[in-house]
Amino acid sequence: MHEKMREKKVENYDVVVIGGGAAGMTAAIYAGRARLKTIMIEKSLPGGLATYTNEIENYPGFPEGNTGLGLMQLFERQAKKFNVKVKLAEVQGVELEGETKVVKTFRTDYHAKAVIIATGGKPRLTGAKGEEKFLYDKGISFCATCDAAYYTGKEVMVIGSGDAAIEEAIFLTKFASKVYISVIHDVGIMDANKVAQEQARQNEKLHFIWNTVVEEFAGSERLDTVILKNVKTGERIPVKVDGCFLFIGYLPNTDLFRGIINMNERGYIITNEQMETNIPGVFAAGDVRDKVLRQVATAVGDGAIAGFMAERYIAESEYFAREFREVKGPQLVFCYDPTDARCREMMTVVEAILQKHPEIKLSKIDVYKGKSMALRLGLTGDPCLVLIHGGRVTEVLALPGLTPELIEARIKQLAA
Amino acid sequence: MAEYTLDALGEACPVPLIRTEKKMQELKAGDILIVQVDHSCAMKNVPEWARKQGYNVELEEVEEGRWDIIIEKTK
Repeated sequence: MHEKMREKKVENYDVVVIGGGAAGMTAAIYAGRARLKTIMIEKSLPGGLATYTNEIENYPGFPEGNTGLGLMQLFERQAKKFNVKVKLAEVQGVELEGETKVVKTFRTDYHAKAVIIATGGKPRLTGAKGEEKFLYDKGISFCATCDAAYYTGKEVMVIGSGDAAIEEAIFLTKFASKVYISVIHDVGIMDANKVAQEQARQNEKLHFIWNTVVEEFAGSERLDTVILKNVKTGERIPVKVDGCFLFIGYLPNTDLFRGIINMNERGYIITNEQMETNIPGVFAAGDVRDKVLRQVATAVGDGAIAGFMAERYIAESEYFAREFREVKGPQLVFCYDPTDARCREMMTVVEAILQKHPEIKLSKIDVYKGKSMALRLGLTGDPCLVLIHGGRVTEVLALPGLTPELIEARIKQLAA
Repeated sequence: MAEYTLDALGEACPVPLIRTEKKMQELKAGDILIVQVDHSCAMKNVPEWARKQGYNVELEEVEEGRWDIIIEKTK
């Protein structure tokens, strides 16, 4: 046994992936395969929410199905094959705004050029007595698609009355002999869409228990009774069931990013189709995003895009530094749109003038292909001619008023 | 803010957990214990226990099938 003083380490990476579920691992696989130095930080064990599912039957490529854990172990093996470092620790803080992004665990600060947020989410719990004891494989489930077949011919209960609750309850009636639905509202009131409500009313296997919340989950090894409480009368209503499904909401793990990353009112991160958040170099993928379907199959798609975009962002940053920031002398940047006739015409003019001034570096940005490089220079992305000195923009000339004489005059100033 | 190492290599569950629990009692707030384990069950139940206590936990796979569990006594 030895003793030494503790100090916080700093480690440098190209990409830090926060979260080790399906989205995070896929992002890491893509980043790793692009030969980026990549680390994935997971707070408990790799695999994420998918590992709580017994059977995954709808992930393509596995016609025999697979267990959630089994499938995720394959993901992890693949990530490690591409030299992704896996760190099992909780992220305690982030600094994402700067060019170098910092992701902090209690012992180490990870410095990265790009960060991928794949922190996922978790189903909301009722907080009732006994709940912890029966979670997931002990009788309390969160996914009818996953676990319905197990309850063939049995009696189950659904908690909630939103779209997920009612639609999943209807789905469950194809398997279970009886499906109770505990709803907090008054008789006949549900939060679900009208179509689902109508279908539910006509389904004879559904039995609503109105004005109730869960008071307690009871049983020995497995759940066998849900004790409801009438919110109006206080009456306790024990109901014998073989399983219980909670559909009372889903909580994204985004507390760390509040006030930094744009989110919707429920805390999901808003991205575009390129998985870009409001901060350049920070991407989000998987269940943590504001999106329509949360499955392993969609998480994988998000992760692939995020990994790819991180690579592109880093390559662009390096190009930007080389082409602009590290240039010492005078420089002319032509932001052009090759589909525009006036741009093509001015290009010839600019090139001809600059041949007489070899001391001035000419750079071209094709803004038709993408605006991101122009945005990095603080421009709008419209066609224009930009004068730069020592890496700083000194003047922006809009295209409409541009004449060969004006260019000539400005270049003489710039060269002087 | 001292750092200690607990060698639990070759020990099966629940021995590493019991030894960790005992050792943590001796630590002061801010101290760190590194538990070395090579049983996959210990790499699950030791961090799980430590997180439940509210300690900071980090797990590092030092090599295939061998882990360092780093626990900071936070209070």
